Amino acid sequence: MKISRRSLTLGAAALAMPSLARAQSGTIKFGFTAALTGPFNEFGEGINRGAQIAVEECNKTGGINGRMVELAEVLDDQLVPDRAVQNLRRILDNREIVGLMCPSGSGPTLAIADMIQADGRPIINPQAQTPAIVYPHGLDKPPRPNLFSISIGNLVESEKLAAALSQFGRVGILHESTGYGVTGADLVRKAIIGRKPGARVTVESYNQRAQDMTAQLVRVQRANAEAMLVIGLGADFAVIRRNMSRLNINLALFGAAGAVTVPYIEGAGDLVAGTRAVNHAAFGHRPMHGAAQKFVDLYRAKFGTDRWYGPDAANPLISLAGTVGSGYDCINLLIDAIRRAGSTAAPDMVRALDQTKDYEGATVRRISFTPQDHVALKLEDLGTYEMLKRGERVVLELRD
Amino acid sequence: MDDFFFSLLLAGISVGAVYALIALGLNLTFWTTKTLNFGQGSLMMLCAMLTVFLSSQGLAAALAVLGSLVLVAALGMFIERWTVRPALTSSGGSMGWVVSTLGFGIFLQGMAAKYFGSQAMAFPDLVFTAQDFVTLFGQYVSLQYLVVLAVAVALILTFEIFVRCTVWGHAVHAVSLDPELALVQGIPVRRLILGSFMLSSILAGVAGVLIAQIGGTVDPAFGFDLVLLGFVAAVLGGMGSSLGALVGGLLVGVISKLVGGYVSTAAEHGIAFALLMLALAVRPQGLFGRPEVSKA
Repeated sequence: MKISRRSLTLGAAALAMPSLARAQSGTIKFGFTAALTGPFNEFGEGINRGAQIAVEECNKTGGINGRMVELAEVLDDQLVPDRAVQNLRRILDNREIVGLMCPSGSGPTLAIADMIQADGRPIINPQAQTPAIVYPHGLDKPPRPNLFSISIGNLVESEKLAAALSQFGRVGILHESTGYGVTGADLVRKAIIGRKPGARVTVESYNQRAQDMTAQLVRVQRANAEAMLVIGLGADFAVIRRNMSRLNINLALFGAAGAVTVPYIEGAGDLVAGTRAVNHAAFGHRPMHGAAQKFVDLYRAKFGTDRWYGPDAANPLISLAGTVGSGYDCINLLIDAIRRAGSTAAPDMVRALDQTKDYEGATVRRISFTPQDHVALKLEDLGTYEMLKRGERVVLELRD
Repeated sequence: MDDFFFSLLLAGISVGAVYALIALGLNLTFWTTKTLNFGQGSLMMLCAMLTVFLSSQGLAAALAVLGSLVLVAALGMFIERWTVRPALTSSGGSMGWVVSTLGFGIFLQGMAAKYFGSQAMAFPDLVFTAQDFVTLFGQYVSLQYLVVLAVAVALILTFEIFVRCTVWGHAVHAVSLDPELALVQGIPVRRLILGSFMLSSILAGVAGVLIAQIGGTVDPAFGFDLVLLGFVAAVLGGMGSSLGALVGGLLVGVISKLVGGYVSTAAEHGIAFALLMLALAVRPQGLFGRPEVSKA
C-alpha cells in the first residue's frame, strides 16, 4: 500500500488534535520550589499557603476565561540552593507550566535566576531580598526581562532602617554570615552613613544556629553602641535577645523583616517587648486596605489562627504578610497577567506584567512594573513597628 | 577585672563546660568499645525537644527532663545493639560504626522533624531566666551560665569519682584496657558496654538541655555543630581522659570566645578546628592522654 505525503500529514494532524485540544482546555499550571520543610519552612510553606489561597479564589470565580488554574509543580528545596536548581530543572521540563514563583531566600533564588532567565517564562519573587536577583548587572542596568519582585528588597529595607537608626550616633549591626545578612548589613551601614556622616557603625557577623553570641555582643557593647540592628532569622534573633539579657546589655534593639517572626517571639518571650522592626505597612493599618483584609479573611477561613496567623483573630501577625501574603500576591499577579494578555505564552505574559499598573495586592497596596522597574515594593510600603506586650500577647504597633 | 574580658571568659567557661560533657559522653563509649557515637548531637536535640513536648503536655519541668533522659538512655541501648554491635562484629570494615551512628543520628533528626515540626521550638526556662543574675567581684554574672557550669562540672567530677573509687568504675577501666581478659575475669562486659552507651546518651541529653536553655530555642538540626566541638574537646584533652574532657572543653570554649572577642567573631568557630589540627600535629594523644602502644 502506498502512503501519500498528504495522508501522512492528515494523520499526524489527527493524532496531534487531542493534545492541542487538551492544551487549550486543560488547567493553567503554575509551579515553584520552596522550603516546604526544614528549619526555614515558615517562609516556604508560607508562600505555598498563599499560593493555594490565590488558586482556590480564582477557581471559585470561574478561573481564567473558564479555565481552572492549578499549582502543578510544588517542590521542596529546604532553602538549599543545589536542591532548588534540581527542582527548577524538573519544573521547567514541564512545558505546561506557564508561570513560576521564586524560592524563599536569596541563596536559592540567585542559584536559579540565570536558568529561569534563559528559559523566558515569567517568574515573580515573593521573599528573597538581594538586589542582584532582579538587577544582576547593577541597579542602573536593565532588570532580568522575565523576573519581577514584590519582596522587601534589601535596598528599600535598608533605607527604612537607616531612617530609624540614624537618630543614634553609634550603631551596632549584627548579621548572619549569609548573602542576605552580609548584603543587608553593608547596605544599612552605607545608608546610615549617607544620612549621618559622623555616625559610627560597628558590624559583627554570626553563623546561623550559633547558641551563644557573647563575643559579638560584647564587641558591640565595647564600641559604645546606643542601638543595635539584627539582620537574620527569628530563632537566631531570640538567641541574641536572651544573650543580651544575660550580659545586661540594654540597647535600642531593631530587627530586619526576616528577624521579627514567630520563632523570635516564641524564643525570646517577654524580652521581645520594645524591639522595633521594619516590615510591610499594609497589615499595620486599621482598617486594612481591601485586598489585605480579603487575604487575611481567606487565610483565617482556611487555616484558622495558626502559627503563621497568630492567636488574635482580629490582628494577624505582621509577618503573615511576608511569609504568606507575598505568595498570594505572586500567583494573583500571574493570573492577572494571563487575563490581560489573553494568552499563556511567555512573551505575552511578560509583556502584560511589564504593563502592570496600580494592581492592588495584599502586601503591597499598589503594584506597578515597567520594563525598567521590576521591583514593586517602595519605601512607603514599609512601616516601622514596635513590639509591645499586651496581657499574654505580643503585638506590633505601627510607629512610622 | 575588665568587663569585656570577664564576659568573654564566663561565656567561654559556661559553653566550654557543655562541650566537656559531650566530650565525656564520647569518651565513655570509646573506653568500652573504641567507638564514638556520632549520633550524640541528635540525642542532644531529641532530649531538648522531648523536654519541650512533655512540658507542653503539662508535665512539671523536672519530670519532663527526667522523662526525656530516660528515653534517650533507652535510645543509647538501641544504638549499641543495632548500630555499633553489628558494625563491630561484621567481618568487613571496622569503621562501619562511624556511618551507622551518624546515620542513626540523621534518622532521629528526620523523626523529630516529622513529629515535632522542623521549626525552632521555644525551650522553657528551667531554673533561672535570662534576666536572673548575681553580682560577683562587682561583675554582673548570669545565673543561667552558672547553672550550666555547675551542673556540667558536678557531673564530670561525679563520674570521675565513680570511675576511680567504685568497683564498677574499675570494671569499666578493665574493659577499656582488655575486654577479652575482663570477660575471662567474670566482668559482665556486655552489660558494661550497654551501660556506657546509656550513660553517654544521658550525658548528651543533659548537655542538650543545658545548651537549649542558653539559646532559648531548639530545632531538629540542633546539636550537630555542638557534637563536633565536643569531639574537638575530647581530642584536645586526650581521648579517654575525663580530666582531659573537662580541660579540653573549657579550653575550646574560652579560646573560641576570646578569639571572637579580641580578634574577629568570624574566626570564633574556626579556631576550634585550628586547635584540633594543632593538637593532632603536635600532641596526637592530647593533653592528658597516653600515647597508644601496640605490640607486634
